[in-house]
Parts: sequence; structure tokens; C-alpha cells
Amino acid sequence: MANKKMKTAGQKSIIDRMGGQKVIVILVVIILFIFFCALSPNFRKYTTFVSILDYSYYISLMAIGVAFPLMTAGVDLSIGTGLVCYSLVGGWLIVFQGWPTWAGILASIVFGMAMGVVNGCLVALMDLPPFLATLCTSMITRGLGSIISGGFGISWPAAAAEGGWFRNIFKIQRNGLNIPIGFLWIILIVIIMSFVLNHTKIGRYTLAIGSNKEATKLSGVNVKFYHILAYVISGFFAGLAAISYSAIFATVQPGSGAGFELEAIGGAIIGGVSMSGGFGSISGTLAGVFVICLLKTGLPFIGLTANWQQIITGLVLIAAVLVDILKRKSEN
Amino acid sequence: MKKKVLAVLLCGCMAAGLIAGCGSKKDEAPKEDTKTADEGSDAEGDKGGENGYHFEVVVKSFQSSYWQAAVKGIEQAEEELGVTADTTGPNNESDIADQVQMLTSAIGKSPDGIALAACDQNSVLEALQTALDKKIPVVCFDSGVPDAPEGSVYATVVTNNGQAGSIAAEKIYESVKDKIAKADKPVRVGEVNQDATSANITERGMGFVNKFIELAEADGKKVAVVGNDYYVGKVEKNNDEKSADIIIEIAVPAQTTVELCATEASNIMNKDDTIAIFGSNQVSAEGVLTANQNLNVLGSDPEKNIIAAGFDAGSTIKAAVADGTLLGAVTQSPLMQGKLSIETLTKICNGEEVEDIETEGYWYDSTNMDDPQISPNLYD
Repeated sequence: MANKKMKTAGQKSIIDRMGGQKVIVILVVIILFIFFCALSPNFRKYTTFVSILDYSYYISLMAIGVAFPLMTAGVDLSIGTGLVCYSLVGGWLIVFQGWPTWAGILASIVFGMAMGVVNGCLVALMDLPPFLATLCTSMITRGLGSIISGGFGISWPAAAAEGGWFRNIFKIQRNGLNIPIGFLWIILIVIIMSFVLNHTKIGRYTLAIGSNKEATKLSGVNVKFYHILAYVISGFFAGLAAISYSAIFATVQPGSGAGFELEAIGGAIIGGVSMSGGFGSISGTLAGVFVICLLKTGLPFIGLTANWQQIITGLVLIAAVLVDILKRKSEN
Repeated sequence: MKKKVLAVLLCGCMAAGLIAGCGSKKDEAPKEDTKTADEGSDAEGDKGGENGYHFEVVVKSFQSSYWQAAVKGIEQAEEELGVTADTTGPNNESDIADQVQMLTSAIGKSPDGIALAACDQNSVLEALQTALDKKIPVVCFDSGVPDAPEGSVYATVVTNNGQAGSIAAEKIYESVKDKIAKADKPVRVGEVNQDATSANITERGMGFVNKFIELAEADGKKVAVVGNDYYVGKVEKNNDEKSADIIIEIAVPAQTTVELCATEASNIMNKDDTIAIFGSNQVSAEGVLTANQNLNVLGSDPEKNIIAAGFDAGSTIKAAVADGTLLGAVTQSPLMQGKLSIETLTKICNGEEVEDIETEGYWYDSTNMDDPQISPNLYD
């Protein structure tokens, strides 16, 4: 019941294709990587590799989180401006209110989860369309961020400064070499969240809500609770993404962040999360995010200017959504 | 049933947390209000002057150090000219309605003149009409109001962005001149501009490019400008990349985020022939610095490092200028703008002719950062 994959267990070709999509995405990542390496000698450098990882953490974290609302056939558009808002709140508490760094980090995450509760209640209890509800909260978070920071950028403590230890969570320096250890954390989170998705009630009910909400309700599941929980997970990861963003970039500018959510949602969809709900994969999501990150970093390196970058990224997204639609058609 | 109760409890707790969170923020807000009021009354404190003119000044925001610098300039002018000025401003640059209200009440006091840094060009139009009707002269600073009612704004005081960009070109050229002279193959100079749409950024960007071309051509070098089509199209006499001695590469990110500026910057900084790079506003300069976190190529020795210059201030850029990662940066001068606004108002009251003033950008580096002329302009 929980998973369409289980429903269609008898038809071998579909299982092949399900496993197949993840494999295809990983193949695309590898092909893109080789493609850019072949065309640009500067892309082949270790430092570029570290940069790609640096800029991927916050999108990866947002994408893992937003996969849950997506799998309930919803969406969370508030994570992009939310990320900036949570980061500004945490930074403001640390820099201007003298809170210790760990408390600021905690505040960012708690704020993210609180926003998730708001989103969840609007969607699950008050039946607002997810698109509309989270669009509104995205405006609210953008405004809040600007108010708290007084309209000016906030810099979390620098790596060398007191309280700057959190920057080393994602990158450490040894003998002048940057080691992107953040990626290990991302892998660990992917493993944990894959387990949550596939082997716990939370994950199974999330998928069930996305497949058929009525049937899930009738089978005695507390649909409202698990529906809200999906948005809380999304908010929690937006909070984590805020920390990674603050750790990698020197200054967080209020008013920015709109558009980040689309990269995360795009990554999740490329990775095989169904926009109509009921199916998704966390490891696929991570692979999908890397398609977006490689395009973003690689296209400037092969000499394409901004306008072309946007056209190509748009085309790739269309292709990914088409795969999702074709998949659903063949299932019907 | 148990689960339901649990769920309700959990939601309740989280909602309570949220409300508590909001509550504490509300507690903070009035504090800032009182602070603003205090600072306001400070400015009011030194009243009384020789020729008795009294002006009202409305800035964009009272909180930031950038605007505090403008207030300092206003105070200097008060002392020098023997006039008085009351300065107010909203808590935040986005509090447009608050500012309009402050402007209206400033007009209500019938001062001899008003200096205004408008948060929003359009919201202040009605108030400016009232000022015109009451024959109160207005001087705009920091940002102009292009659609202001004819005759209401006597003069504007804004940064000359073209000149500000050209200073960075002069300083960078001075630092890499020897290297260019000695080079046996073409060298590359990068410029990262946040966008190709806003007037401030494009003027700055072209100011840098045109000055660099002028300096290089004076030394008999051929310059080619490549990269973003908009900027390349604005170059008057462009040369072919293949025959040029110096290539200026202009990058504009797809969106105005630090990370995309950083990607564009690292693309340029990765090239073997790159000798210098300029980030033309705070975001793009920070993009250059973000790229350098991994590349580690910036520094003050033109033989070994890529020379970089930034724009505006902020703690990140200031730290990079202080430790020599950046050669220096260009700052605008809120202090001068505040001072000039009051001077212009005084001239108007004295019946003198006034015209629009463009203030200069100032170069700062590790040697003059603490200079009393410079440091008030460097906000965090």
C-alpha cells in the first residue's frame, strides 16, 4: 500500500525502470563531470572539485528535506528565503546578542522547524494548497529576515575568530589543503534519511499520504500528524542548510534566497522524487542535486555566459519532469 | 487516541515555542526604537547657530553604521556653518511608509530646508509636492528622485559611480604595470559585476574598464574586452582577443548570489594568464573572496599573486583589505554626502545658485583604513 513499487512488484520491467532512473541520474552526473573535465582544463583542478562540494551542501540539505513534502504530493517553497532568514536570525543572535555559536545554530534549526509547523498546519489542518501556503510563508520569512538584520548583511564568526569552529564542520585545512569533510556528513544524512523513508512509519506514511490520502486515513493512520511532520522535516533541513550556508559563505544578505528552493526541488525531481507524490528516493535526490550543481559550476567554466546557463538548466529540468510524467503514464 | 493526544501536545509545544520566539523578538523591537529616539535627540541637542537656518534631515535608516557616517558629516557641517539640523530616519531601509511619515512631519515643522535620502523613489512624490507648495527647498542625497515634481528638488548629491570604478582601475594598474610591461604573452584582468541591469553597477563596471583601457593604451598596449555581451557592447573601440596584450574579461552571474559570483570569479582566477580581478560591489567582491577560500591565489605580490580590488565595505571585505588579501577597495562617502547636503541647503537659503553634486569614491587599503577621513565611511 505504502509504495507504488510494492504494488507493481509483479511487473519486472517497471522495477527495472525504477532502479533504472537512479542509475540514469548517477550516469548523467558522471557524464557531465567527464564532459566538463574534457572541455576545461581549469575544471579538472582539485580546488574546483572542493568548490562544487562547498556550494552543494545547502542545496543538498534543502533537497533532502523538501523531498518529504513533495512525496506527500505537496511542495515547500519557503525553504529558500527561509534558509536566509534562519541564518540571519542565528547570526544576529551570535553577533549582536552575544549568544554562543552552538546556541545560534540551535536557534536557526528550531526556527526552521517552527516554520515547518506553520506550513504543516496551514496545509494539513486548514487545507490550504501547499503551493499557496508555502509561497506565503516564503514571503513572510523574507520580510522577517530583513527586519531582524535591519536590512544589512550579517557575517557569522570567521573561521579564525572565536566561535568560528562551526565552519570546520564542513571544511578543514591541513597543510594548506582544503578537505571538504562536509560531504561525509551529507552521505551520513542520506543513509539515515533513506532508512527513515524506507523502514520507519514516518517514511511509509509520508509516501502513503502522497499515493492516496483518503485510503491512508481510512486505514487508521493519523494522516494530519504525519502530513505536518513532512513539513517539519523540510523546515528542519532548511535550518541545517542555513548552518551550512553560513559556514561556507562569509556574509548572508537579507532579501536573497528566493530561487534556492527551486534548485533544491529541481534536484529532488531530477533524482526521481515524484511531483504527484507517492514515490521518491533520498540517494536519487542527492544525485539530482549534483546534476544541478555541476551545471551551475561547469557551464561558466566552458565559457557559456549567464543567459545560456539559464537556458540549459531549464532544458535539463524539462527533461527531468518529462521522465516523471512518462513514468506515471506507463503506470496507468 | 493516545497518538492524537500526543500529536496535539507536540503541535501545541511547537506553536508555543513559535509564539515565545515571536514574543521575544517583539521585546527587542521597542529597545531599538528607544535607541533610535535617543540618537535622534542627541542630534537635536546642539541647536542654535549664527545665521539661524534650521534644516530637517531624513536618512534611509538610523541603525547602520553607513548612515551613522552620514550623520557625522551632517554634524560637521552644522559646526562649520553655524546651522542646525534634526536628523531622523526609520529603523530599516525597507520601512518606506515610516520614512514618508517622517518626511511629512518634517515638512510640517516648516524648516528652512530638507535633506532627504529616499528609501523609495515613488513613495515620496506626494510629500515633495507639499514641500514645493510650502516653498521648502529639498536636497536629495545618496539616491536621487528622478520623477520629483518640477522645482521641488533643488539639487542631488550622489556618488559618481564611473569615477568610483575608475579609481580601482588606477590602483590595480599601478600595481601590475611592471608585470604587464615585462609580459611576453597576453595577460588577463577580470571583473565580476553583480548584474548588467542596474545603473550604479554598470556605470562602475564601465568606469573600471574604460580607465584601464585608457591607462594601458597610454603605455602602448592593446586591450580586448571579452565576456558579458552587454558590457562588451558598451566598449567603444574593442580589439580582437588574439592580437591584444591585455584581455579584460567581464563576468556576470546568472543570478545575484555570492555563490554564483564566486563560481564566475574562480573561473577567471583559475586561468594561468590572470593577473588581477575587480569585484564591483559588496556581493561580487565577497564572491571573489569566497572563490579564494579554495584557490588561495590572491595576495599583494603581483609576481606571485593575483591582485584583487573590491567595492564598499562590510566586515569580510574590511578584514581582507586589512590582511592584504585585497589590494584595497573603493568606498562611497556617506560622510561627504551628508556634509555636502547641508552645505547645499545653506547655499540655497543664502540665495546662491546650486547644482547637482557627484561625490567621489575613495580608495582605501591597509595603510589608510583608520584615517579619520576614511574610517567613518567603512561600515561593518
